[in-house]
This record gives sequence, structure tokens and C-alpha cells, in this order.
Amino acid sequence: MTPDPHVTPPVALRDPRIVMRLERLGSFHQSRLSFMRILTRRMTREHWQFSRPVFQIDDHGVGHAVYCAHTPHRTYSLVAFAHDLPAEKRSDRVIAEAWDSTFTLFDGVPTADDIDRLRRNIPVQEAGRVTQAELSVSRANRSVRLWEHVVSRLAAGQQPDVAEIAKVGYLMRTTAVYGSGKLGAADREAIANRPEFSAPFQVEMLSVFLTRTYVRDLAQHMANARGGEAAVTLDPAIARRIGIGNSTGLGMAPFLINHPVLFNNWITARETAIARVRSLPNASGAEVAKFRDLLARSVVSADLWGSAHPIQVEKLDQLRPDLAKLRDHADTADLSSDTPWDRLMCWAEQQLGIDAQECLASLILEPYGMLVDDLADQMSDRSTDHFRINGSQSLGELKTHLQSVYGWATQLDWAQKPHCARAWYVSEEKLEPRLGERFEEPIADYEQPLAPGRDAAALMAALQDWPDDQPVAAFLLREPLHRHMVRRAQIVANAPYSEIRDNTISADLLPIDMLRCKLAFFGAIHFDPRSDRWVRICLYGNAPYPEDLQSSPEEWPYPPLDAALP
Amino acid sequence: MTQSLNEIEALAKKAARGAGKAWGMAEEAGKATRVLSDLGLNGAAALVDLLGRNDGADHGAIAPQGTASPWSSASGTLCPVAAGALLSDCAGQLEGGAIEIQDVSHPVLLAPFVAMAAGHLGRPIMLSWVGGKVAADGAAVWLDDPNQRLSSFEPMTLTCALGQAGQGAPLAAMGRGRIDGATWDALNRFAGRTYAPATELSRQLGAGAGNSDND
Repeated sequence: MTPDPHVTPPVALRDPRIVMRLERLGSFHQSRLSFMRILTRRMTREHWQFSRPVFQIDDHGVGHAVYCAHTPHRTYSLVAFAHDLPAEKRSDRVIAEAWDSTFTLFDGVPTADDIDRLRRNIPVQEAGRVTQAELSVSRANRSVRLWEHVVSRLAAGQQPDVAEIAKVGYLMRTTAVYGSGKLGAADREAIANRPEFSAPFQVEMLSVFLTRTYVRDLAQHMANARGGEAAVTLDPAIARRIGIGNSTGLGMAPFLINHPVLFNNWITARETAIARVRSLPNASGAEVAKFRDLLARSVVSADLWGSAHPIQVEKLDQLRPDLAKLRDHADTADLSSDTPWDRLMCWAEQQLGIDAQECLASLILEPYGMLVDDLADQMSDRSTDHFRINGSQSLGELKTHLQSVYGWATQLDWAQKPHCARAWYVSEEKLEPRLGERFEEPIADYEQPLAPGRDAAALMAALQDWPDDQPVAAFLLREPLHRHMVRRAQIVANAPYSEIRDNTISADLLPIDMLRCKLAFFGAIHFDPRSDRWVRICLYGNAPYPEDLQSSPEEWPYPPLDAALP
Repeated sequence: MTQSLNEIEALAKKAARGAGKAWGMAEEAGKATRVLSDLGLNGAAALVDLLGRNDGADHGAIAPQGTASPWSSASGTLCPVAAGALLSDCAGQLEGGAIEIQDVSHPVLLAPFVAMAAGHLGRPIMLSWVGGKVAADGAAVWLDDPNQRLSSFEPMTLTCALGQAGQGAPLAAMGRGRIDGATWDALNRFAGRTYAPATELSRQLGAGAGNSDND
């Protein structure tokens, strides 16, 4: 059943003009090709071993610990520093300067000298420097409410209340996980050839996986210190429900625009997987049963998904009945013959909202690991030649191509305020991307190139006076302002899913759409927007701990049916 | 202190933008500085000096005046990033003959574009001057520069043409940068011009604050 990746499936990939709209990208769900699941599959398949050689944390929760992941050929170590953070200093904003715990993923096993060096640099995060021996730098803060609940219950000899855990979902949330050379850490290019890091963001996902174990252990340690003989051990089944939270702000949104080839490769992999499954003529009883089971658990998952944000509340108000409708349809429909998955997807396009359509698109991949999991290896960006502009391309060819990809952008009057109300910029204060109001704040001079639609429209206007037979090189020599956009346009010619086909500076832009898309590829569920520009999520909720990997099914993101709220 | 190549590229790009380059040109400057740092050449120092000399300069004054050889600028001194970008854009032109690049300052910044062009053409390219040359075949770069002219910041005239791969050992890729503190600080100063000064409004609006993030 291993497919030939060079054979185009009979059912075509979905059109980028449909897929690459913000509303749809902002409705993506995790799938087999999400980065957390790629990692847990590999850890299980390769029988990674785990150890905790150091846990030197005192009764006040101050000290450090080392957690090692042993792959068949290498060892990676999470070095965790535990701090006693005064409540008034606890903030998830990137402008924070202190955290409950700080981390780095070390390439190998750190020596005592390494630990000393890291102790001077990791707790201060952005104010420190690391070396090529460090693969990531991150930090996490407690959920004050759930932390106290869990620690005090365990200290008193009782298990925590699962309803309380369901409300928050995590004991600690990360507020930034830096990789890829940030703060001096190893470049992605330096480790990209290692099989365990061939898929995107595997360093970051491994760091968070180990962080979750550390957080569980730290809570137990604090409960033991407080309760002494009376303390009990956290029930593993309850521990399993606890994930790692994450607060994600605007810093992540421009990533998708700034890494067009990488973004294209993520979407292409998922769309190719969807097309392969839609192209199947039949489905076996076991495949259909697995789909129905995970659909039922998706209904439970949507019920457990809480958010107070009006936009998300509205989305959930449509998603929940849509999934129930899908479940009812799938219970009775013939899913065994006559290209069942393609028919189901077509039915969904007519009957369901976009959120449920995308949930279904991810769900139909679940029974077909043998058919789609190989695509994980195509999700990184290994090419280096897309940077170079092809200056010999004729302007006529460029114009035709621009019209086909960015034609939508020429329909907008970019001088109208609602179409260019926003501007992306980097603030002097914390060097982080922000989104501002172009006509209310003095930011236009500092605008980042994150509006491809507007820039493509401007490029097309500038090209009008140039003859078609002239080469791109001659145009760019006179018009350097368009160089950035020409590069993008040439990239999208070979990478059709690289470009968002929507206005990224309009008055009604919702940056959380971009955040959700990226976080769904990480494997996050239960997106909880806290405003239109930052979102809370939970990573590894219901996931196996290191010692559970071999005994756990790989569909761990789907909650068990009995997890439903009463 | 060593730097990752990703942070060098990102900072050099911002610095070039801060000195008035268009974003697309700033991207070229960032990439060139990264490649040079990887090869152990001091591209960052050359870039800092270049940005200082050409601060806010009009592209038309410092770029080649046309695509046909020889290349020269209206101002008299060619910008190596502008010339390098054109060289990369016009790589195919080398198959029709050599390109003379006249009076280009900070010539070391041309080298990455020679490598990029060689990679595109799939054949070796040579950049030569009186007493020295750089050769690139798309995979490796060779430097033959006994008088250390390439690392000079002063203008010189070079010829770029199809050629042979270099002899002996190519420049070794270091995988890290070793940029001194003064140069790093200077890059940061130029980069700082791309950051918007914080206002109370931007603090309130820009990052979506206002909601408590503790629970």
C-alpha cells in the first residue's frame, strides 16, 4: 500500500485559492502530519529511552533538573531551571523578565561546566547567550489556580479534581520556545540532516514533551515537600489529562509569511494526504470503524473545548452541531465503496461549515498511516535555491503569473483605509512583531513587508509601463522597491500553497487565524483566543508520558469517549 | 562570542533596511553576510562600513547603470550588494561573455553572489582582479588573494567570467559566525532604525494586551 509519491492521485489537490484563505487556514485542525504526532510516532517506533539523571530541586522549588531522551544514535537533554517567582512578576507577555521555570534543550548530556554556563544564561532568556550545543531556549509559567489545586490536594493525600484539570488543562504554559539559531543556539541547518529532526519543529516539540514530564515531577515534588508522609502520588490516568499550555502572540503570525516555502510544504503535505485518501476506491471495515470512533471522540473534544472569546464561541456554536450532523451522516452512509472519502468530503462542502470541513479533512487521514505518514519527510524546507531571483524571466511571463496568483489583490482599492488600516511593525521596546493602526499611530515608516497582496498589486501597476519582452533583471535594476515582491512571486510559481490569498493588513484581519493554522500544524487543540491577536492552547493533553509511549495508541489527541462532560 | 548564521542573516538584513535599502535588497545583504560569515570572511565588517558610506543613498546612484558590461555607477563607486544582486539576477549573461565590474567598494560582498550564480549555472565562475581571484562552483568557494585586496573596503575593478573550479582546498564552511562586538553593535545600531518607538497606544493595541494572562 506504500504509494508512489510521484503519482498524482486521481482526486486533485484542493485549489490554493480555496485552501489559502484566512478563514479556512484559521479553521485547521491537528492531523497525523502534525509535528507533535510525527515526534511521538518516531519516539515509539524507535523505542527511545528516557532518563532523569539530575533532579536537584529544594523544598521551595528552586534548583535544576536534567531529562534525557536517548534516540538510537544520540542523546538530547532538557535542562530545566526551577525558580521561586513572586506572583507580581508572573506574566506571559514576551516583555516579561522572570518565569517559574526556564529551559534549554542540550545536544548531548551536559557536564557540570555546561550547567554552570547555562545557569548564567537560561534563567534570563533573551538577555542571555547560548551556543551551538543548545538547540532551543524556552520558559514556562504556572497556572496558579491549577498548580495550587493539584499540589495542595496531593499534599493532603487526595487526588486532584478532574473537572478542575479540564477547566485549565495544564500546570504550566510555555510563553516562548526559541529555536533555529535564536540567541546563538544551533542553526536548524546544523541539525536538519539528523533523521529525528527532518520534520519541522521537532526540537521544539521534543523540548515541550520533556517539559511536560518535568512539570508533573515538580508538582509531585512540591506536594511531597508540603505533605510529607500524608502526600500521595498523582494518579497516572489523571496526569495523562494534563498537557502543557502555551500562550502564543503576534510573533508567530508573520512566520507563515516570512517562510513561504516551508509553509507551502506543510500545506502541500496535508493536501496531498487528503487527496490520496479521497482517491481510494474503497475502505475496509476496520478503516471505517476507526474513522467513526475518532469522529465520535472529536465530538467529545469539541464539547470539552472551552473559550470565552466571542469569535471562538461563535465558531464552536457552529462546529459542535456540524460534527454531530457529520457523525449522524457517517453512521448511516456507505463509507466502504465508491470512493467513500471523496464523497464524504463533497457532502461536507455542501452541508458543513469550514471548521467542520477541515476537521473532517484531518479525520479521514487517521485510518491511513501507511498511505500518508511518509509525507512528514517532505514538510521541511531544505532547498536553498529559491532565494535567487530569476532575472532572465520575461516581464510578460511575470505579469501573467502575477495575475493568476494575485488577481484578487487588484480587485481592492488599496488607497481605501479599510484595506490598509493595519501595519505590521517591530517595536523598539521588545523587538517583537506588532500589528498597529496605520492611520492612528506613527508606524508606517517602520512597516515590515507582510502585505503580499498590496505589494503584488503595486508591482503589477509598476509593470504596466514595461514591455513584455524585457527581463526581470532590467526592471529590478530600476525598481529595487519591488525586489522583495518579485522574489515572493517567483517562489509561489513553484510553491502554490506558499501565499495566503487574503489581505493581511485589512481593518478586519484576525491574526488569530494565522496563529491557529500554525499551531494546528504543531498539533494543538482547543484553541482559546484571548483577543484577536493572541491565543491560548494546550500541547500534549492526553498524550503519553515517556514511560507510556510503547503502550499508547497514536491517536492520543482524541479524548476517550468517557471524557465527555456530564 | 560566536553567532548562529540565522541570527547573522536576520540582523544584517535589518541593518541594511535600517540604512535605507529596499527590503528586497536588504535580503540580499543579509544572505551575503551570512554566506561570508560561514566561510570565515568578515562580511559583517564590510557591510557595516558600506552601510555607513552609503547611508540612505539612492539605489540609482550606486547601482550599475545598465545590464550590459562594463558595469559602473553614476556616483563613481558601485555598491557591491547592488552589483552582486544584478550579477545573480543576470547569471546567464556570463555565458555570453565576461562582465567587468568597475570601481566597486567592499568587493568581498560580491563573492556570495558569484557563488549563487555558479550554483544556478551549474558551472564554475571566477571573479578576478589584478593579483587575485575568487572561484566558485556552486558547492565550494576558493580564494586566491595573496595581497588581501578582497577584504579592502576601497573600490577596485573586477572581472566576472566563466572559469574553472579553484585549486587546492576551498574555504571551509564554519557553520558559525565570529563577528566582533563592535561590528555586532554597529549592525544593531543600523537595525535599530527599523524599530518603531514604543507609544502607550502601541503598548495597549499592538500586542493585544489588556487581558490578564494569569489563571
